[in-house]
Amino acid sequence: MIATRYFRYSIILIVAFAAGCASNVTVEGPSIPRPHFDKLPLIVALRLPAEFQDFVHEENVLGRESWTIRLGSSNAKFFTQLFGYMFDNVIVLGPDDDMLDYTFDALVEPKIEGFEFSVPNQSKTDAFTVWVRYRMQVFDSVGTSASTWTVSAYGKSQTEGLSGEKALQRAAVLAMRDAAALILLQMDKATNIGVLADGPINTGKPDSGEASDGKSINDEPTVFDIFTIGGIDEVTN
Amino acid sequence: MKLRISCITVIVAIITSGCVTAAIENARVEATGLLEGEAIVVMAKSYHQGNETEADYIQCVETALGYGANALNVVPAQQFIDKLFPWFEPRTAPSNTKGLMQFMEKLGVSKAIELMGVRYIVWIDGDTERVTQGGSLSCAAGPGGGGCFGFAWWQDDADYEASIWDLDQSESVGTVTADYSGTSFLPALVIPIPLIARTQARACGGLAKQLKTFIIGGEQV
Repeated sequence: MIATRYFRYSIILIVAFAAGCASNVTVEGPSIPRPHFDKLPLIVALRLPAEFQDFVHEENVLGRESWTIRLGSSNAKFFTQLFGYMFDNVIVLGPDDDMLDYTFDALVEPKIEGFEFSVPNQSKTDAFTVWVRYRMQVFDSVGTSASTWTVSAYGKSQTEGLSGEKALQRAAVLAMRDAAALILLQMDKATNIGVLADGPINTGKPDSGEASDGKSINDEPTVFDIFTIGGIDEVTN
Repeated sequence: MKLRISCITVIVAIITSGCVTAAIENARVEATGLLEGEAIVVMAKSYHQGNETEADYIQCVETALGYGANALNVVPAQQFIDKLFPWFEPRTAPSNTKGLMQFMEKLGVSKAIELMGVRYIVWIDGDTERVTQGGSLSCAAGPGGGGCFGFAWWQDDADYEASIWDLDQSESVGTVTADYSGTSFLPALVIPIPLIARTQARACGGLAKQLKTFIIGGEQV
């Protein structure tokens, strides 16, 4: 009986100790303000991958702290709202939807290619920083790959007046908002998605790739990268 | 009785505060002034450019400008940024007056600024740093009681620069700098007595006061 009680207390102590070293952050998702932006005259299908509905990032910092960031469905909400501001008409597709059931000018498949963060212990500053990297694949109306674009964005939040969890949450929201600004201002320039309003691209070559649902095949995409630091005009091909 | 309490409070506050030295300068390029209904906005320079200005310092200056004598009409920074999305994000905000002219030509920007009535943007750069510290202090506690013994001190430097941009003219109208240095002491003989220099708070109040004078008062020198 006494042994059972000691065992129970030990478990409680271990759990309490472990909880003290672990932080959980839930990001509700940024609400993007209505932008000063002329919508592109396109019907765009936005295919959201399954990870956009429940994205969780876990990381141990220097073997001392464990951080879990739950983005949940904030990426899905973020891209749906952003594309609604960018294009005349947006059709949101789930991972299992058949693209052949829909008519559109362009299909965009965003993915999270990377998610990283630093905490004050690591950066030796008072700030939490979050980096997020989205990879956006653009297909034309018949599923031929038109381009691939990597968007790197970051957000930084100081801890003053905020708990570590709140500061990290704010940094994540700022990173997504940074991505939104970049996508709004650079996507057409980087991917030429506007050209797809005139019809599918003509590659003149046999098809070689396919969209994630496997319904269409495509040519080698053009890859664009835009890096965050240094301004919005650094587009490299 | 109330007077006595007030006097005691003031005396205690004076005695228990550390030393702060201050230097405030301004450099005017153009004449300034605020008309009825015109407002200002206070912003930290972008972290994309490596700026480390504390968010609570910006908040303090914003609050100080909006209250007291010669209070200015201050639009909250986040409201200003949201209304101009995506042109005033850390990545996209103009970093110099050349960029300011291009910024004003962006779709919907001039109209949004006109609706908010914002005439000046005050960009704040700088931070408060602990530059040196010394001394030692130790505390002990036992069944019969506890206490501390020793002496510790530290010095904080608060260096801030505010650049004022006139959105009507799309140009910089001048800068105000505030350099404050404060030394805090913590002597302890059983009970620690903190003599804290509120360096950052003083730098906030000083900069805000000078900004009010600069913006309202301004003839070109």
